[in-house]
Amino acid sequence: MSEKTTNAHKAPKTLPFDFVPQEAETAVKNNPHAKATTEVDDVLDALSSQFGDAVLERSVYAGERTALVALKSVQDICQWLKNEQGFTYLADLGGADRFTEDDRYEVFYNLVSIEKGKRLRLMVRVDEESMTVPSVCSVFPAANWNEREAWDMFGLRFEGHPDLRRMFMPEDFEYHPLRKEFPLLGIPGSMPLPPQVPTGELTGDPYPAAHGSKTPKSYQEVESEDEA
Amino acid sequence: MSIIDNTNFAETLKFWPRHNEALYRRLESKHSWVEGSRNPDGSHLDPLENEMILNIGPQHPATHGVLRCVVKLDGETIEQCVLDIGYLHRGIEKIAENKTYQEFMPYTDRMDYLSPYSNNVAWCLAVEKLAGIEVPERAQWIRMMMSEIARISSHLIWMGVGLMDAGAVSMFLWTFQAREDIYSIFDEVAGARLTVSHSRIGGVASDLNEAGISLIKNFVADFPSVLEGWEKLLNRNRIWIDRNVGIGQLSAEDVVRMGMTGPNLRGSGVAHDIRRFEPYLKYNEVDFQIPIPTEGDALARYFVRLDEMKESIKIINQCLDKLPSVKGPVRTNDAKRSYPSKSEVFYSMEGLIHDFMYTDTGIAPPKGASAYHAIEAPKGELGFYLQSDGTGSPWRAKMNSPSFTNLQALETMMEGGMMGDMVVLIGTIDPVLGEADK
Repeated sequence: MSEKTTNAHKAPKTLPFDFVPQEAETAVKNNPHAKATTEVDDVLDALSSQFGDAVLERSVYAGERTALVALKSVQDICQWLKNEQGFTYLADLGGADRFTEDDRYEVFYNLVSIEKGKRLRLMVRVDEESMTVPSVCSVFPAANWNEREAWDMFGLRFEGHPDLRRMFMPEDFEYHPLRKEFPLLGIPGSMPLPPQVPTGELTGDPYPAAHGSKTPKSYQEVESEDEA
Repeated sequence: MSIIDNTNFAETLKFWPRHNEALYRRLESKHSWVEGSRNPDGSHLDPLENEMILNIGPQHPATHGVLRCVVKLDGETIEQCVLDIGYLHRGIEKIAENKTYQEFMPYTDRMDYLSPYSNNVAWCLAVEKLAGIEVPERAQWIRMMMSEIARISSHLIWMGVGLMDAGAVSMFLWTFQAREDIYSIFDEVAGARLTVSHSRIGGVASDLNEAGISLIKNFVADFPSVLEGWEKLLNRNRIWIDRNVGIGQLSAEDVVRMGMTGPNLRGSGVAHDIRRFEPYLKYNEVDFQIPIPTEGDALARYFVRLDEMKESIKIINQCLDKLPSVKGPVRTNDAKRSYPSKSEVFYSMEGLIHDFMYTDTGIAPPKGASAYHAIEAPKGELGFYLQSDGTGSPWRAKMNSPSFTNLQALETMMEGGMMGDMVVLIGTIDPVLGEADK
């Protein structure tokens, strides 16, 4: 008791961001938008008994089932779900930056079984040290562009991907913009831009005015009297 | 002898030399679909069938935006094709992470700018699922009706532009005439013609007025006969059928494998529509059919979209019948979860405070929550996957956009096809690059 009090005294007073508002309970349990398609406990049970320790964690939110699985067995799990459980359709795949020390990135797989009318989410976590994820392109060819997008946006390398180029940004760009440390305004000089006058040079800074340099003009401005 | 060996990209190209080199390398390394067009010693059979690399786009009117297709031609046959997208990339997911949930809603108008209303609804439904907000009945009916009108307007553009690509310019003008009526409806209902931003988290911004309802009634009364006239022109039109039949044929296994969605998926005989798969709003209370032909070619996709417009009219009629009996508010009556009405804001202190708080912080879903909600947008499954960190803006907002998903299959569809069919194939995919490029 006394120890706790001293700790509380020492701890800096910060805004309690883990404050859970009252509606949290409805959001989790009686969610008005929860769908019948996401009730896939039987599939997850079968998955757990088939792969054992590879299924690390199961969570439910708003009726949606998410299975956190081991990184190395994600390909086998996808293959098994496709062949044995009828999850033949990959609706979505993407990455996320958790900005934590361990297992910083995660990749989610939104799988759909059209015949059974079920939807399931798989999740894997990737450490910053390795940054490699086994590609599921061989199982779901639909993953091709989504994995390229995740590579472009987060720098996650998908091992075994047939054509891992950037999806949106040009190859000459050296950053991965959806990482949390990438600034919203962009990095000056990271992209060559057209010259601002027809005969000019390529410019590097997308926001020259924001960084103190004057935009070159093709004509001479008349000096105002105030400036003089 | 390849283009890569004798091109110095760094010298020839001022912009993005590494990007272009990677693109051409990909083209070179692709397995060719077309075989037997060369002699065993590698020389060409016919001097007219010289190989040629052609860049179509990003600034080409037939590519429906800023799509760049790098194709390797053998005579008029497309041997290999590599698509390059991203010319309209605005980093919309990064923007979403830096806005409150309500603040981001107008950005969704700019994604699929041919059906902005559906995008608004998709975003609001995703946030409502994440935060567990209930939407009043009347708002749901209004949302559903307006989304169906948006579906018609999107299919009209596809039809007009698709036919213009095939050479029928008059059709383009006629579909735009009908779209003008739809724009007037949106103008009356939402106050804007294109970027409607009418949906709010927890409901819609305003109820329908009499003028709006009569505009919609006039539209649904007139439009079926207009559509019938077009059908008379097109359904047995020799030119239109010959341009479409057997073009870009995909089997049911192929479309599922490549993850296509929307009319492109259903055109190949796969019965998958989010309105039936996981009914949202009031789609389980209305009666409508989902056309599913099995041919899988461009003509089948034409009939899917044509019939979908008729079904949308059916849904709108049912909404119009239902609306007078569904009374009540059009937004959740809880100022902590949704904007208070303007009369409250103008005439009460609490209303003003809540309005300010909602604009400043907005709804804050529970920490660690994540949810995915999809709708059947005109182009297919449009879903948002949101992760919350307990603050007023999403930690991660992943957009599952149908144009992006569908474009992926375009490379396969083009390879082995004819150069002249390329514009028809792009039209049949119906991509909107604002959405595909995020």
